Amino acid sequence: MKTLSKILFKTVFKRTGLFLAVALLALTGCNEKKLKRPADSGTGTQPAAPAGGVDKAFARELAREFAREFARELAKQNITLPAGGEGTTPVNPAPTTSAAVELDSAEEVQDFYDANPKAFVVATPADLPTNLQWENGSELKEFGSPKAKRGGTFHEYMADFPRTMRLVGPDASGSFRSRMLDYNSVYLVMAHPNGDGYFPGLAKQWAYSADRKTVYFRLDPDARYSDGERVRATDYFFSLYFFRSEHIKGPWYNDFFSEEKFPNITLYDEHTLSITYYKAKPDVIERIAGVRPIPEHFYSELDEQFVEDFQFKFEPNTGPYEVRTENIEKGKSITLTRVPNWWADKKKFYRNRFNPEAVKVSVVRDPAKAFELFLKGDLDWHGLGLPEFWYEKLPDNHKLVANGYVHKVQFYNDVPRPTWALRVNSSHSVLRNRDVRVGLNYAMNFDVVIAKVFRGDYVRMNTVADGYGPRSHPTLKARPFSVEKAKEHFAKAGYTRTSADGILMNAGGKRLSFTFTTPYKRLEDVMTVLKEEAKKAGVELEVEIMERTAAWKKISEKNHEIMLGALNVSVEIAPRFWEPYHSDNAYEEPKEKRYDAQGRLREGLKPKPVTNNFCMLADKDIDNLIEKYRVSEDLDELTGQAKRLMEMIHAHGSFIPGWVRPWYRAGHWRWVQWPEGYNVKESREPYEFHVHWIDSNIKAKTLQDMAAGRKSGAATIQVFDQYKTD
Amino acid sequence: MQPATDQPKPEQARRARWEIAVLLLVGLASGFAVGGFLGGVLGAPLGGWLLNSAEPGAGVIAGVKRGFIILGALGAVAGLIWGARSRFNPQTRRKLKRFYSIKRGYISFLLLLGALGCSLLGELLVNNRALLVSYEGELYCPVSPFARTHTGKEFGFQKDRSGQDYTFEVNYRELKEDFAKQKSGNWVLMPLVPFNEYENDFSEGLVHPAAPDAGMQHYLGTDRTGRDVLARLFYGFRITMIFALVFMLMVYLIGVVVGCLMGYFGGWVDLAGQRAVEVWQNIPFLYMVIIVVAAVSDLPFTLPAWFKILVLLAIMVVFSWTSMTYYMRTAVYREKARDYVAAAQLLGASTPRILFNHLLPNTISTMVTFMPFTVATAIISITALDYLNFGLPKPTPSWGELLQQGVANLHAPWIVLSAFAAMVLVLTLVTFIGEGVREAFDPKKFTTYE
Repeated sequence: MKTLSKILFKTVFKRTGLFLAVALLALTGCNEKKLKRPADSGTGTQPAAPAGGVDKAFARELAREFAREFARELAKQNITLPAGGEGTTPVNPAPTTSAAVELDSAEEVQDFYDANPKAFVVATPADLPTNLQWENGSELKEFGSPKAKRGGTFHEYMADFPRTMRLVGPDASGSFRSRMLDYNSVYLVMAHPNGDGYFPGLAKQWAYSADRKTVYFRLDPDARYSDGERVRATDYFFSLYFFRSEHIKGPWYNDFFSEEKFPNITLYDEHTLSITYYKAKPDVIERIAGVRPIPEHFYSELDEQFVEDFQFKFEPNTGPYEVRTENIEKGKSITLTRVPNWWADKKKFYRNRFNPEAVKVSVVRDPAKAFELFLKGDLDWHGLGLPEFWYEKLPDNHKLVANGYVHKVQFYNDVPRPTWALRVNSSHSVLRNRDVRVGLNYAMNFDVVIAKVFRGDYVRMNTVADGYGPRSHPTLKARPFSVEKAKEHFAKAGYTRTSADGILMNAGGKRLSFTFTTPYKRLEDVMTVLKEEAKKAGVELEVEIMERTAAWKKISEKNHEIMLGALNVSVEIAPRFWEPYHSDNAYEEPKEKRYDAQGRLREGLKPKPVTNNFCMLADKDIDNLIEKYRVSEDLDELTGQAKRLMEMIHAHGSFIPGWVRPWYRAGHWRWVQWPEGYNVKESREPYEFHVHWIDSNIKAKTLQDMAAGRKSGAATIQVFDQYKTD
Repeated sequence: MQPATDQPKPEQARRARWEIAVLLLVGLASGFAVGGFLGGVLGAPLGGWLLNSAEPGAGVIAGVKRGFIILGALGAVAGLIWGARSRFNPQTRRKLKRFYSIKRGYISFLLLLGALGCSLLGELLVNNRALLVSYEGELYCPVSPFARTHTGKEFGFQKDRSGQDYTFEVNYRELKEDFAKQKSGNWVLMPLVPFNEYENDFSEGLVHPAAPDAGMQHYLGTDRTGRDVLARLFYGFRITMIFALVFMLMVYLIGVVVGCLMGYFGGWVDLAGQRAVEVWQNIPFLYMVIIVVAAVSDLPFTLPAWFKILVLLAIMVVFSWTSMTYYMRTAVYREKARDYVAAAQLLGASTPRILFNHLLPNTISTMVTFMPFTVATAIISITALDYLNFGLPKPTPSWGELLQQGVANLHAPWIVLSAFAAMVLVLTLVTFIGEGVREAFDPKKFTTYE
């Protein structure tokens, strides 16, 4: 004992440093939170029987199989479990008698409803019209695969951490929003992506009114938000209060959901309601279904602090994936997890989709690094749209492809395409001149860009609205590259002299030089080629490749001269013209003050920021036709007007069409599995409709094969052209 | 130690040839630099006033260019005359002879000088414009800066190979091939590397990035957009070296002046100056440059590329001038305590005279030893900034940009390997020169302390 204490005494005092170091190590090293257990590391590598432990993924799968067996047995024996069971309630087609509507809103919200009594009506089921033809989309086919397996974590990446988790307001239209809302949320009805028709969502059944301006819905009583709360009919009232509020700072929403457009919502009982649109458009139900229910219990009422308060709060959603606060690693990654017992889990059209248990989206700022992570297996997929990826970085004889670890897919889809084009700011002092703009059209050599930079894989876009089927223009073509015609138009604008380096000048010595902005660094090559070719036509383009958000900010404030970019276009029945081409979205001044007596645009007007009119197009005739187009309800009349508008915008010259990609390409690791035909017709990205699933067994086996250096299968390079248009 | 200039000059030996050569070189370089700088500064306002142009800033740019060339040429001539007439003092002669004896440094110096000289003549070696064109008996020289652009129509071709009206500058490489096919006695003489640093080579059969191919005359291959790597390396070298040299001159100018003043006046000037320098020195250079460049690029109106380059240079200088102040201050303190300074003061010499005639010449040797290392730091800094996209605006050729492209395209290793090899080579040369200079100017060989 004495010697022990002596030794301890000696150690502590003589080797204090060492003692301290060991103590520190022992204390800090035992921080449990920092240690990642293998199962939580997210890479999903489950080595086939960890020493003495159980393969967790296998156990989960087994448990699920048992649960399914039980459910089938119970259903066979017609036993219904008390509420809370996963999808074991038998399907009851007849509408149950629902409770009457109870409005229980905050004072300010109630005042809002009371201010517009005709717009927010609470009625009784007796007020429902009697001769409604209810539809429920049951004739449509499912598009998920019955072979789909649930589970696994899907690894994706994003180029930048989202600036906000809000779905409306400043900075909310980022790419992360699509993972929370556009590709995730369930709306009243959903458009079927393989053709026409709608399938049920939050509404089980729906019916049109006689004048086709109102749609009646029978809501699904199972519908829940991701926090477990019921979707209430009064949430639809709240939704319009929300979208019309000035506190969300979203003028687009204020306008899109304005009282003019949605004059009435009537609640008949807890599960029946009707929404009225102001025009009997052919796709009225899709517009109406855009009114998604906003969880009133989450917001209760809005105030000026809305933008700051909800900056990083996830709004409860009706979709299968949610973002929990503990899964947000600020600046690094966000993991979306599947809502436990999701209400639509077993329903037709949803049961074989949304299969991964979690989706981990990591921030990878460098595109080259993202691709390297994909090759390592840390990311499950990577787009191969650019020719450098498809042909050079992952060629067909690449080790990963040849051994069958990574599959390459090219899928022809049939959708309106992102509008990759040059938009010329026609409010600029030089670009106001139509001849200069038309000359620029002829000075842009997209044929060389497509042939050389894109290896001929893409196709030239021709109008502002390609890909709308019968609503697109059959004959209008983009202006081809022509030095002669370009110089002819520039000469008409007064640019007749040539400077020493071949750039055109006008009589006063002003050079024909413009800044050429783009937010996309990956299009550097395109910009360089266009610049060199434009020199031949006497135009100087100063290339400016800015950081993504900074560039879009500059463009949205209309400070650009020429910009190259694209806006994603939703799959709709007819193209939109008002947002990008009407003078309402170009200048702040009211309409009467924009044009002079002869109908010409006045000078010195103030550009309107944060709108989609990047061309700053303001032409009286185009304005008038757009206004007629917006109110038209006849499909044939619409079609004729759309074509005429395309011709007029083509003549204006501020939109220089770029390219169109009739397919999309992706590479993914073999453990990401797909249905037979790979995907749906109207998909624009492989993961949009969540028809894929992850097979953990295949993943484990592939990683083993890679470690052992074996082939996993034949090289799989597939081209799916069943939806190819020509 | 330099004797006071009032005493008669001692008997002077004849200067050796190499002395004359070095003096002429120094005179030429410094004359051109000083003249060019003054010309640029004077030309800016004059040009803007005299040259009427609709472009904002175009008159200023033209004035700067003309002032630079005119006064630079005058300054170069004046420098040559000065060089021919002056001589080194014996200490400097010994130091230079010692530098010559350190072969490694001397050879590196010659190589770098040769490379710089080549790069100044860059347009004659690497260009897509022909050196000479003989068409129907007439001789044209398209590469000359006084030549105007020749369109294809002037050489008898109405349309170019893609069918466009040939009213733009002719492609001399294609012209050479077409003349050879015509067999009409016309010929074209192209430079060694017939590519520009900006143009994309979309000839048939080339898939970019293309591997080095002597047949297509892409000796180091092409980058992702089809631009010749050797051309971009070459012009990148020029821009980087000029940037580094100008950076060094400006840093030294400010640093030497401030350090000298601090050392000479001492007292409050020294105290306050030292504190200011310490604070300023602690601001992280790279971060500040990135922040300011990002802020400047984020403005709602666009700035021309040359302005952005000047802003970049200014910011880099502003955050790195402090290094020289310490050495200058110490050197001046040391010299100030010497007898000759006291003697000059007693004789009534004014402060500027003491500073310029007595102190500065004796402290130059300290400065000179640091010059090569400052140049090396500048090269690394500008390359690092370009790699991060915060440096020279695209598509200016630069090594950092080539490195970035190379790293993003490792399946085309010639891009990153050429840029890397070039950087290693140039930095090695500069470091050898620096070591040579340091050893040559080392005072230990001349002082013995007991």
